[in-house]
Amino acid sequence: MNAQHFNSSHCLALLVVAALLVTSAPIWISHARAAGSLPDVELNADRVGPRAIEDLTRKSVARDYAYAWQSMGQALAQNRADLLNAYFTGFAKQDLSQKIADQKRTGVQVQYTDMGHKLEAIFYSPSGDAMQLRDNVRLEIQILDGGKVIDREQVNLRYMVLMTPGADRWLVRDLETTPEVQR
Amino acid sequence: MSASAADLRAPAQVAAGGGFTIASSGSGEATFYLIGPAQVSKRKVQLGGDIAVQGDEIEHAGRYTAIVCASECSSTHFFVHPVEASRLSFLVHPSRVPVSQPNAISAVAFVFDKFYNLVTGPGSVDFKVIPKDGHEISASRPSENGVAWVRLTSARQEGPTKIGASVGKTSELRVVQQVASEACNLRIKSSWTGKQLRVETDPVKDCSGNKVPDGTVISFTTVDTKGKTTVDAPVKRGIAKVEIPVSGNARITAASGVVTGNELRVGGGQ
Repeated sequence: MNAQHFNSSHCLALLVVAALLVTSAPIWISHARAAGSLPDVELNADRVGPRAIEDLTRKSVARDYAYAWQSMGQALAQNRADLLNAYFTGFAKQDLSQKIADQKRTGVQVQYTDMGHKLEAIFYSPSGDAMQLRDNVRLEIQILDGGKVIDREQVNLRYMVLMTPGADRWLVRDLETTPEVQR
Repeated sequence: MSASAADLRAPAQVAAGGGFTIASSGSGEATFYLIGPAQVSKRKVQLGGDIAVQGDEIEHAGRYTAIVCASECSSTHFFVHPVEASRLSFLVHPSRVPVSQPNAISAVAFVFDKFYNLVTGPGSVDFKVIPKDGHEISASRPSENGVAWVRLTSARQEGPTKIGASVGKTSELRVVQQVASEACNLRIKSSWTGKQLRVETDPVKDCSGNKVPDGTVISFTTVDTKGKTTVDAPVKRGIAKVEIPVSGNARITAASGVVTGNELRVGGGQ
């Protein structure tokens, strides 16, 4: 009788816990999705030349550029240069790796909250082996030292981007912030 | 002595690799941070004077944030712009191309300064083509956003052609191997060797007179009283040849890709 009573109470408790988990699940799932979500990237290729961008290429470039920014944010936040390997190469990878090494050395950290990119393709080489793009991005940038925020700003930045095709994706080869008005 | 709150004043733009100073107000010791596209640095400074930024701290073009923290933190931003063009990244495609193909070669030059910053301001790149046995041809093209490009038609004669790009004192050369194009004017002739008919081509050349590479496949087709037979033979030392058993009267043709040659008509065993 006691054992049966214990089993009933135990089952009831388990049901309550299960019900709580089921009702709260959408909340933590949505938080996790927000934290790991890809930034929005709108790609305009109306004025690109000399080669037109095929539809599949346009989609790949926008997708891979979003993944590049996501991995850059994670690499800087976690001080892990290895996270750059998938979507960066050349000068871009070299520069960001150096920045991460400096972050480790100084204890200073740069964190980005990405609020979306308006990407414009401006050059696509005749043989399809390089693409240059201009990115207008809105970011929140936090700079921390030892975990303490020492600077925070929301800013619109313009980047000049050079991407080249890899085996199965487009890679960011150069990423340079430029003033709004070119010299 | 405790530090008092400070303001920073930096020029809006500075040249890559050039040292400059950031003016600070306040007094006492503070921590100075400089965050750029490829670096993060941190050091102690005295407020109330100029904070020196060394040239090697700003070699990468882009936006920098300077922060000074004493009792409070304050920040300023500035852009580092590239210096004059002095390096090239030069892409030429393809590395092998058939002769006489219009706009078949693409040459793209990316212009960088000595610190490998893309030089996005207006400029020009000199392209040149140096054929194996011909005169050098050169042309200048404007660079826009750090990119200049040109499309070239391959030469009429096979062999290596050098394609170059130069900016300032820097130049880059790439070699494109031009190879014979498709066979053209395919001619065949025949002779009897016993009961076999020996058929061979004249030297197989493209329309510009370049010998097609050995290994190019020539298809010989025979139509006789037994029906239609096709034999493939590779070009060796410029010609392709086969021996064909012929029954009765026969018609023989040769083809390479979409190119067909002359037709031979022969009598059986003759």
